[in-house]
Amino acid sequence: MHVLAFCAAFVQSWWGWPGAARADTDYFSGTDFVGKTRAGKFKQFYINYWKPMRRIQAEDWALSIGGMCENPLTLTLEQFQPLPLRTQTSRMKCVECWSAKGQWSGFHFSELMKLCPPKPEATGVVFHCDDTYTEHLSLEDLNHHRTLMVTAMNGAPLSDEHGFPLRVIIPSKYGYKNPKAIVKIEYVSELQYGTWSKIGPYSPDGTILPGTDHPLDLGKTPHRISGGEITDY
Amino acid sequence: MGSLALPATALASSMLMIPEGPFIMGQGNQPPHGPERHLFLRTFLIDQSEVTHEEFQTQFPGHRFRKGAAQHPITKVTWYQAKEYCEKIGGRLPTEPEWEKAARGEHGFIYPWGDHRPKKRPHPFYSGVVKKNVGSNRQDVSAYGIHDMAGSVWEWTADSEGPSNIIRGGLWNLHLDFDYSKSYEKAAIPPGERLSFLGFRCVRSME
Repeated sequence: MHVLAFCAAFVQSWWGWPGAARADTDYFSGTDFVGKTRAGKFKQFYINYWKPMRRIQAEDWALSIGGMCENPLTLTLEQFQPLPLRTQTSRMKCVECWSAKGQWSGFHFSELMKLCPPKPEATGVVFHCDDTYTEHLSLEDLNHHRTLMVTAMNGAPLSDEHGFPLRVIIPSKYGYKNPKAIVKIEYVSELQYGTWSKIGPYSPDGTILPGTDHPLDLGKTPHRISGGEITDY
Repeated sequence: MGSLALPATALASSMLMIPEGPFIMGQGNQPPHGPERHLFLRTFLIDQSEVTHEEFQTQFPGHRFRKGAAQHPITKVTWYQAKEYCEKIGGRLPTEPEWEKAARGEHGFIYPWGDHRPKKRPHPFYSGVVKKNVGSNRQDVSAYGIHDMAGSVWEWTADSEGPSNIIRGGLWNLHLDFDYSKSYEKAAIPPGERLSFLGFRCVRSME
């Protein structure tokens, strides 16, 4: 895609022109880039990215794990293959009021802790994503039995839109606590504010609160939710 | 409204008495709030405020909390931990009717203070819980003098619905214009969950 055309797409997707459909317009299909969209099949599962970014190439990707850990290391995609996979179906709830369901496959965070043990003073992790998004999760939250380091969705490898090649799924927290396209994991000893919590009215905790949900797969009809993971539908 | 002085060893937090008598429970005809019905409860005692970190630590010395949060409501406790705490201090978790009577008074107020919405609206956007010292909101007081039943944090009750336990209460900072701060509002959470918006208070029967 010509760089000027992409710049125009970026500006439109981010701020939109007056009257433009913004994310309802497909700016990224067929390009080297991925970003926020609600177009086409993504009407059933909205895609949010902090910034449009180049699609990650599997052969170029590596995950670095560092910060307050015993032996910082870098892992390639191939090195994830031996990790024991789990699959769960869970709903992702966004602070924008919508939710969508997926079948997620991946490994438990404890597998990474075995490869790169945190120092005793480490209490959490900052995930650094390829679109410069950052998000913090505590080790307690990461070791919850429903938290998954996801590499596949609905039986296929993660798509670029859903965070290829590695993302977090933590069903009890709003979508912004589910970072994707992760490139670096940094152990930290104190709570850190993620990208949205720094600039917006999003709590660093991010637990889903009691309220009303508008699930995309159920026609956005209002559903009462009790807070925490949505398991009723 | 009456208050009862209790030995400090018997009950860690201040309890107030809810007198014997009828009250209105529920709202409308349809679940989850209805049907509205008239119930009668015997006298019982209930914590004036939600259990704090400091109080919880008296029974569970290993409990840690951040500096400045001693008087914040404890959250991220399972239903089992909440139940154990109440039993340790000689009480128990409130039943749903007990919680609702303490919040609504005899006349079935929509909010603990009456039927009108506060003029000051909750924060319209913030996605999380804003914790303050228990009892610090001077408006959120029921007819019986019980604090924080509309705002602060949600609370475990003794009652269950299927595999989950009923929680009652509300938060101040929802972007829902107090819809979920109504005194008959309810939700259900599995008892093993530990959530940042969920605490508890205790009650004791009057023998």
